[in-house]
Amino acid sequence: MALPLSYSLRNVRARPARSIMTAGVIALVVVAATLFLGLISSLKRTVAISGDPMNLVVMRKGSDNDGSSQITLEAYQAIRFFDGVARDADDQPLASPELVVQPFLRTKDGGRENVLARGVEPVALQVHDKVRIVEGRMLNPSSGEAIVGRGVAGRYAGAELGRELEFGRGRWKVVGVFEAEGSSFESEVWVDVRELANDAKRPFPYSGVRIRAASEGDLARLERRIDEDPRYALDAQLETDYYAKQSESANSLYVLVIGIAVLAGVGAGFGAANTMYAAVQARTAEIGTLRALGFSRRSILIAFQIEAVLLSLLGFLLGAVLAWALSLVLDWLLGGIAFGAETFTTNVVALRVSPSDLVGALGLALLVGILGGLGPAWRAARLRPIEALRKA
Amino acid sequence: MKYAHLVWRNLWRNALRTAMTGGAIMLAVVLVCLLLTMPAGMDAMLNDFASNTRLTVHNKAGIVYSMPYSFTRKVRQVDGVAAAVAWVWFGGAFEEDGRVTFPNFAVEAEHIGAVFPDYPITQQQLADFQRYRDGAIVGRQIMQKYGWKLGQRVTLKSTVWPVDLDFRLVGVIDNERAPHFWFNREYLDQALREKGANGLGIAGTIWVRADDPRKVNTIMRKVDEMSRNSEAETASETEKSFFANFFGSLQGLVTIILIVTGLVSLCIVFIAANTASMGVRERAGEIAVMKAIGFPRRVIFTTLLAEASLLSTFAGVLGVALAVGLTGALQAAAGWSDMLGPLGNFIVTPLVIVQGLFLSLFVGMLAGVVPSFGAARKPVVESLHEVF
Repeated sequence: MALPLSYSLRNVRARPARSIMTAGVIALVVVAATLFLGLISSLKRTVAISGDPMNLVVMRKGSDNDGSSQITLEAYQAIRFFDGVARDADDQPLASPELVVQPFLRTKDGGRENVLARGVEPVALQVHDKVRIVEGRMLNPSSGEAIVGRGVAGRYAGAELGRELEFGRGRWKVVGVFEAEGSSFESEVWVDVRELANDAKRPFPYSGVRIRAASEGDLARLERRIDEDPRYALDAQLETDYYAKQSESANSLYVLVIGIAVLAGVGAGFGAANTMYAAVQARTAEIGTLRALGFSRRSILIAFQIEAVLLSLLGFLLGAVLAWALSLVLDWLLGGIAFGAETFTTNVVALRVSPSDLVGALGLALLVGILGGLGPAWRAARLRPIEALRKA
Repeated sequence: MKYAHLVWRNLWRNALRTAMTGGAIMLAVVLVCLLLTMPAGMDAMLNDFASNTRLTVHNKAGIVYSMPYSFTRKVRQVDGVAAAVAWVWFGGAFEEDGRVTFPNFAVEAEHIGAVFPDYPITQQQLADFQRYRDGAIVGRQIMQKYGWKLGQRVTLKSTVWPVDLDFRLVGVIDNERAPHFWFNREYLDQALREKGANGLGIAGTIWVRADDPRKVNTIMRKVDEMSRNSEAETASETEKSFFANFFGSLQGLVTIILIVTGLVSLCIVFIAANTASMGVRERAGEIAVMKAIGFPRRVIFTTLLAEASLLSTFAGVLGVALAVGLTGALQAAAGWSDMLGPLGNFIVTPLVIVQGLFLSLFVGMLAGVVPSFGAARKPVVESLHEVF
């Protein structure tokens, strides 16, 4: 005979102080785990969604990011006319030659950060079609103009529409602000590619080329053709793979976070077990009565285990709401969290708690509840009815 | 003191509970200590490690904008400069990693020792570094992470230069503050020339040691004046300001770490308070009896508080010890991380230990005070009433 679910439910309600204490401990662990997991997943997402499945990144063989690659004008002129490169309405190939440098920008509070400056031609907006100008307009080539991403705008001195931004050897007039669906492009400054090469005194005009393929079949063909071309020693890869690889460097942080979550979880588990043991002790007579009435050991074990799970679910709910609210407050207070990226530039990441972070935290909460409740539930189930009743 | 025995016996009347509470406090102290090592590592880097006689020169526009190599010689001639060394970022990736997992630089072997005399590298190793063109000196953390031994050869594939270089490990920087890989600049220069490229004509950063800390500001001013209106105008700054700027963007992360640490601490207070109040509730009868036969409130309050503090202090000491042990393992596992910078060094500073111990003591006091106070104050008749 099984004990009704309402028995466990009422037990949680009957001792509100103790229940809230236990659930509160679990809630705090959930908040800590969620915030950390959210931080890493936000960071990874920002980088990972930057790639477009139809685009290829072409760099010098051996380079791992476009900050360290160079390619010649000649190579660019050759590959942009390869078969399979998409064309725009005027039949111009959608190949965007780009130069990446990492100049210092002054933050508003007087510090300085390396920011990714991307030299582009107008075609860049068609190749990176996620990037949309939301204020002002696209820059005109050769006129000292710049457009800045949403994450850059407002963070650095002068990075506002109509103001002058100082970096490299020159000053650039900000004529537009762009968004890119929250991807890492929003942490970049875009200027004219030739002007940037001049300013940085780069011998090669470009660091890489981004190509849009006409069809999915062309992607693989283009990739192979560029990789195998003996003249230029270039390497083409899917833009999605390129950014996925960059986001992998955040994986080393997972070791840290999981370690923290496990340590905190075990600690909370001890706490939860303590309260449950005390609950079993206080209810000795009650359990004895249940046994005398004929409830089996198993049903008592299950009832106590359910109680523990209920408590941890309650803790999870509390913690999830708290973590979500805290992430909004933190994001607002810090104005996005800056991270060093693989390219040694600053990525401004919006802290957002995603469902998968919550699933991780839920798993932790349940684990704490189940493992913490196991010992006490076992003790309750093994109480001998006669002795238990005699104590009462 | 005559009640010490009472406190001790009370502590062990429910051994399982005591052990679990102690365990929870210990784990939390471990966690708080580990998390605190991250901002503490950054502080230590800025306040203790950065030398007050060292400064760095780089292009005003950014670290990736280089300077002509010849500028290093000019810097050396500035009055007050004891030594100067040019660094160039190699961006070498080890093995299959395919990406840079530790910072590696081409440096001038004959000058590096004089600019970093505070780094623990033996004279013999510095001499070997100059003798072998393919020699490399490596930070202890990197050696541990990859299990390298002195004398071994390792190959780094550059992500910046079109060369792969094969190095002989000739020395170790025997501390945690410099997880670098240094090798001979001439080796890279030669390799580039063999490839038909131009030689290495640039310096990425120039590190300078002044012969007197008071001259640092003058040197910085003179160096920057020398480069004014040239192709590469420079910006000089002290070592401390360089690190502060370089890692300034990690502030947001530090804030989050501190918040999580705060939450975890709160969690321990909860756990300990809960247990302490359970213990007191269960003993309501015996406390009432003690009061009825004449024990003063003060004694009851003190013994209960002592019990909570004793447990938490013991757990705190264990926790700190465990944290010290764990950081060693973490250092080896995490190594240098471009995400964490100096936060990933996990250096346990004395301050972290004090903070950890203080936290546990504080938790014990706080968790013990409320229920003990309540128990000591409750009228005897009322307690006895509840019991019988």
